[in-house]
Amino acid sequence: MTSPVSPEKFIVPIGPQHPALKEPGHFEFTVDGEIVTNASARLGFVHRGMEKGTESRTWVQGLYLMERVCGICSHVHAMAFALGVEKLAGVQAPPRAQAIRVLIGELERIHSHLLWLGVAAHEGGFDTLFMFSWRDRETVMELLETISGNRVNYSANVLGGVKIDIDDKQKDALLKGMDFLEERTRHYLKVVTEDETFLGRTRNVGKMTYEEADTLGAIGPTGRASGIQRDVRVNSPYAGYPDFPVKLVTATAGDLEARFVVRIEELFESYRLVREIVEKLPPGDLAARVPRRIPEGETISRVEAPRGELFYFMKSNGSDMPERIKVRTPSLCNWASVLVTAVGHKLADMPMILAGIDPCFSCNDRIVTVTDHASSNQMSWESLRQYGIEYYK
Amino acid sequence: MSNIATTVMDKLKTWARVNSPWAIHFNSGSCNGCDIEILATLTPRYDVERFGIKLQGSPRHADVLICTGPVTLQARDRLVRIYEQMPEPKFVVAVGSCGISGGVFQGCYNVVGDISEVIPVNVYVPGCPPRPEAIIHGVVELLKSLQK
Amino acid sequence: MVIDDDLKLAESLLEKITISSTRPEENRVDFIIHASDIKKATLKLLREGHWGYLSAITTLDCPEYMVDETTKEKKLVPEKGHLEVLYHFCRDAAVATLRVSLPYEDPTIDTICDILSSATLYEREAAELMGITFRGTPNTDRLILAESWPEGVYPLRKAFTGLKDLQTPEEGVCS
Repeated sequence: MTSPVSPEKFIVPIGPQHPALKEPGHFEFTVDGEIVTNASARLGFVHRGMEKGTESRTWVQGLYLMERVCGICSHVHAMAFALGVEKLAGVQAPPRAQAIRVLIGELERIHSHLLWLGVAAHEGGFDTLFMFSWRDRETVMELLETISGNRVNYSANVLGGVKIDIDDKQKDALLKGMDFLEERTRHYLKVVTEDETFLGRTRNVGKMTYEEADTLGAIGPTGRASGIQRDVRVNSPYAGYPDFPVKLVTATAGDLEARFVVRIEELFESYRLVREIVEKLPPGDLAARVPRRIPEGETISRVEAPRGELFYFMKSNGSDMPERIKVRTPSLCNWASVLVTAVGHKLADMPMILAGIDPCFSCNDRIVTVTDHASSNQMSWESLRQYGIEYYK
Repeated sequence: MSNIATTVMDKLKTWARVNSPWAIHFNSGSCNGCDIEILATLTPRYDVERFGIKLQGSPRHADVLICTGPVTLQARDRLVRIYEQMPEPKFVVAVGSCGISGGVFQGCYNVVGDISEVIPVNVYVPGCPPRPEAIIHGVVELLKSLQK
Repeated sequence: MVIDDDLKLAESLLEKITISSTRPEENRVDFIIHASDIKKATLKLLREGHWGYLSAITTLDCPEYMVDETTKEKKLVPEKGHLEVLYHFCRDAAVATLRVSLPYEDPTIDTICDILSSATLYEREAAELMGITFRGTPNTDRLILAESWPEGVYPLRKAFTGLKDLQTPEEGVCS
């Protein structure tokens, strides 16, 4: 890469052809030599028209639709929706159901963080770590399948509670699974905080200060890695979290390493929480009755998805179909913060920085492109990724 | 679409590739559920590469296009372009219920639905999402049908 | 109770700007304000009061309906109604929402991007899907909808029932 006098821009299509980052997108960076001077975003490829879709489906159908906003965090979407409907209807889901909701939510967080660990590692060229973490992740996929019948899109929620229960055999499997994963995760923590090559790509890279994170409204692990004390499970506990509280995990460095460490520490909290719920699962019904027509009103439902705060605004007109459902997913917030963080960094750091916010495209399909005015350069994601790997050799 | 058997017989050079096909993946607007299960096939538990299936980056070298999603309006043109860039003989595997009918998104304002309304499809793998074994099965069935 | 303190703080910060306020849920306060006061209100909450963060911007279409005499069906009265823009700020468990009403004929409101640069993505989405104009917003490029999506067609409006209903059959789904 030359260092031209005038700023260059590169188009980096995160293509459909990208083996690891499974979502279609483009990234747009302006570079001056090696340094990124501007970054911007364009969304579009995964926009399906779901908010509108809810207006012509019943509340029950809406639940199944919102589960599929995102295949990685399907449960939290369904849970946010169900909790909102229950508030509008003045119905409380029974304690056993709320605990199972938390259990599955934490299992989902585990699968999501392990998925991210592998994908982020792949972005940096650490393919062994990718393979190991995804192999280990199969443990939690199997647990989710044992409990719900599906590896992805578990469909545990119903309006008013859950439709699946946990028996003793499943409890044993869960405990064994958590033990295995905890041991493996200790190993990952070591790699992430001690491996020289890894630290070379992450320590002091992509730094976002507390003030920047606060001003930009960064949330989730991205914000917490900069010390922001925001976690909906802690600030505004919902479902079973009042009975099964979780610790707020933060770091102060605000760099990529911190983002890795925060997610790994969250994994330990999730393992602990799963064990606790298994031991203390309250007895009782799985669901309360929710009427077909939901009383008129508006409610706001906030939950902590693996990527951060998920925000649902829900309006009922008194019928069996929603008047308006507005979904603001965490990745949209984090996107804004990464666009600012990217500026001033080397182009070679872009793959890791982008992966560092755990971008969920289907939650917020987006395209970011790096365009070259001077020579109309197009850089494929794979090239950018390789560029980053080579740069740090 | 031209007669598959004739095309295949005519292209003995690429016939060898059928035994070891190069596949590319395209997400036409999926929620990602199918895509992470496709990705899982690369990992040790399923290890799709032992079937000789190689997932790589460029359509120009691909034999099989593995496509997910209900084809959003933005994705449609790109999907067509990728298909056109693939050399003959080429095959398409639609993974997931979205690619069959639009799945839960059927009728939503920004989706087409059935992938075959945009490009020809050879194999549909139903599921929401289908498990990695089912995805591998779909691709292997495609290859077996070509060897006949 | 901490939530109540947070809500009271928001109420006192916005006292002079509020037209009316309600507490729709135990953790929520809604403020109806003039569209022209949106910058002032945002500054009061975020900069002066350090009251939480902007979590989302919701848009609502509130068209007028009439009941058809013969079929007894509820029908949209064309071009009659208004839009609402809701700015949701979160502070721990408390949510303060600024509610602004905009007429169909002129759905314009000042941007808040000069106060909060990250609001640009929310404003772009609202502009594109509901047809709100944010005066002074830095980026008006399409965010979500395809380049080929027709101008002036806002899919979240109640009057929109699908692209097929806009075009003649020959044109197909989307040109």
